Amino acid sequence: MSIDWPSYGWAIALVALATGAAWLMFPFFELADLIMMYLLGIVVVAMRHGRGPSLLASVLSVAALDVFFVPPFFTFAVSDARHLFTFAVMLVVGFVISNLTVRIQAQAAAARSREARTAALYAMSRELTSTRGVHELLTIALRHVSEVFKSQVVVLLPGADRGLSAWSGGQFQLDANELGVARWVYEHRQPAGLGTATLPGASALYLPLIAPRGPVGALGVRPGDRHSLDAPDQLHQLETFANQTALAIERARLADEASDAKIRMETERLRNSLLSSVSHDLRTPLATITGAVSTILENGSRLDDRTRQELLESVRDEGERLNRLVQNLLEMTRLESGALQLRKEWHSLEEVIGAALSRVGKRLANRRVTTRVPPSLPLVPMDDVLVEQVLVNILENALKYTPPGSPIEIIATATDRAATVEVADRGPGLPHGEEDKVFEKFYRGRADGERGAGLGLAICQGVVRAHGGRIWAQNLPGGGVAFLFTLPITDAQPTVDG
Amino acid sequence: MAEPVVVVVEDEPQIRKFLRAALTGQGYRVFEAGTGADGLIEAASRQPDIVIVDLGLPDVDGREVITRLREWSAVPIIVLSARGQEPDKVAALDAGADDYLSKPFGVGELLARMRVALRHGARGDPESVESTLTVGDLQIDLGRRRVLVQGAEVHLTPIEYRLLATLVKHAGKVVTHRQLLREVWGPNAEDQSHYLRVYMAHLRRKLETNPAQPRYLLTEAGVGYRLLTE
Repeated sequence: MSIDWPSYGWAIALVALATGAAWLMFPFFELADLIMMYLLGIVVVAMRHGRGPSLLASVLSVAALDVFFVPPFFTFAVSDARHLFTFAVMLVVGFVISNLTVRIQAQAAAARSREARTAALYAMSRELTSTRGVHELLTIALRHVSEVFKSQVVVLLPGADRGLSAWSGGQFQLDANELGVARWVYEHRQPAGLGTATLPGASALYLPLIAPRGPVGALGVRPGDRHSLDAPDQLHQLETFANQTALAIERARLADEASDAKIRMETERLRNSLLSSVSHDLRTPLATITGAVSTILENGSRLDDRTRQELLESVRDEGERLNRLVQNLLEMTRLESGALQLRKEWHSLEEVIGAALSRVGKRLANRRVTTRVPPSLPLVPMDDVLVEQVLVNILENALKYTPPGSPIEIIATATDRAATVEVADRGPGLPHGEEDKVFEKFYRGRADGERGAGLGLAICQGVVRAHGGRIWAQNLPGGGVAFLFTLPITDAQPTVDG
Repeated sequence: MAEPVVVVVEDEPQIRKFLRAALTGQGYRVFEAGTGADGLIEAASRQPDIVIVDLGLPDVDGREVITRLREWSAVPIIVLSARGQEPDKVAALDAGADDYLSKPFGVGELLARMRVALRHGARGDPESVESTLTVGDLQIDLGRRRVLVQGAEVHLTPIEYRLLATLVKHAGKVVTHRQLLREVWGPNAEDQSHYLRVYMAHLRRKLETNPAQPRYLLTEAGVGYRLLTE
């Protein structure tokens, strides 16, 4: 510790000043009053310059009193032995005053710094309370602890396979040893590392983050000055910050768990709804097929040809319907599981529309299908198999919900940035306000004929969104409904040689 | 002519059963195999006129069966596969299969595919390529390089003509994108599938009444194109 020479200079100067004042007072005052002058000087020195200088001032004051004001003057000799007692008392009083003054000063300083810490803690708590998500919380906690304790800070949270993963925003590098200390702290729920009795060789102090439900991690603090955390109240303060952080982390965890539970419930509900829908939709065609075929088998030649033909046709139709259902279920599963891979290439909408129409094929036979696809339409990046499926699903939807013989119109347009396909029918339209609901899974309209699984349009939405496009339905002023979807065109058209 | 011989390589007994019934009824002699290995043995011993291979066999990949078969035989091969597995179909076609059918299929479709495959006979056999084709109001005469729609001659650019001629050569069969690109633009253009989109649009505009609802030049999404013959 370096010696603060100017303070000692000030101590000497103040004793000189007190001596000067006493000299002026000497002819008119008692010796006791002069002593008061010196004590005043000691108090000033103690207040402004601390313990060392004030002790010096006490000793110098006694010496100056002896030399200048106690006969024989200008020597350290004392003629009256009573004065020795005076000096002793004065020295003791001087020491006591300087000690008390210094202690009051220190307490005031400590109170100020505690207040600052409390304010900092309050600021952190307030920010933590208004934040969601573990990572956001950690960012805030790291910033505050790092500012208040002038340290590099790391938070370690238990990750996969029982290891701790560090979170420090890059400022704190952990080697294997440090990580070992952190793990010990996490497992034993006790502080360790720098400044503690356990593993003091570590470069940082580690504190456990303990929340009501148990430990949630560890906090590592590496101060800029190795000793700045030595004071007990510093450690105590740091523990308070650690507790706040632990509470916030646990709160965020609980919130996450609650929302996970909600998602699980929702998924469960969907799965049940899917199961009941699927079992019904698969059983209906199967019942028809089994019934029709067993009728033929058991009645043999008693059936007339026309009945037999009709039964066989319904077996074939129901088989095709089953196929479409299974296809949609598979497609939906693929979309939902994220296993769907877009194979995007430049395609012509005219071609994809043509392919979809020919796939729906015979079932469109009694419909007048108009296509308006301008020859100038640009190529559009898309997965042709999936977009064909979108068109097929929309067309099958129209077949299901519009009266036989009513027309269907397909219109394709494009700007520089997107192509739009519209499929319009002349059916009854959608119930008012349900234009968006039709794209929800398991939504089914009131159909007279075939019932689907309520997946067709949901698949359309999934595919179009995967392309970065939009799909919607709107009732048409003259009756009927139009399904529209867009496909973005993000790159320049490819060049064609030849 | 003797009854044509078919080898069916399919692991599902129910499907084999109905194929046997349908094909026997149509005058084919049918031999069955439940595995790829048995299928190869049957194909070697029965001298079939056509082979039908399911792509989802229990022992080997259907594509493997095709590759092995192609090592020594040019017999027409039709593969059966599920919808949604276009890449598998393309791989099978590129491995040497002549055509494919998506399950479930009607017997009518299968018989049509088989007729086309039998007509073409051995792949790459120049004598099997018919130089004239008439379908609906479309007439194509490769020998005289003439294309007529409703009796009126249509002018095609050289690339359009080459594209059409390639489809005519394989009339009725699916032709994969890669195959078309290689035959029309050369081996370096195999990845330029947008060429096909542009030139097929040109061809349709000249040959079809409504290019968005084509009657002859059909698109098989994810696989290729097919020039319809019946």
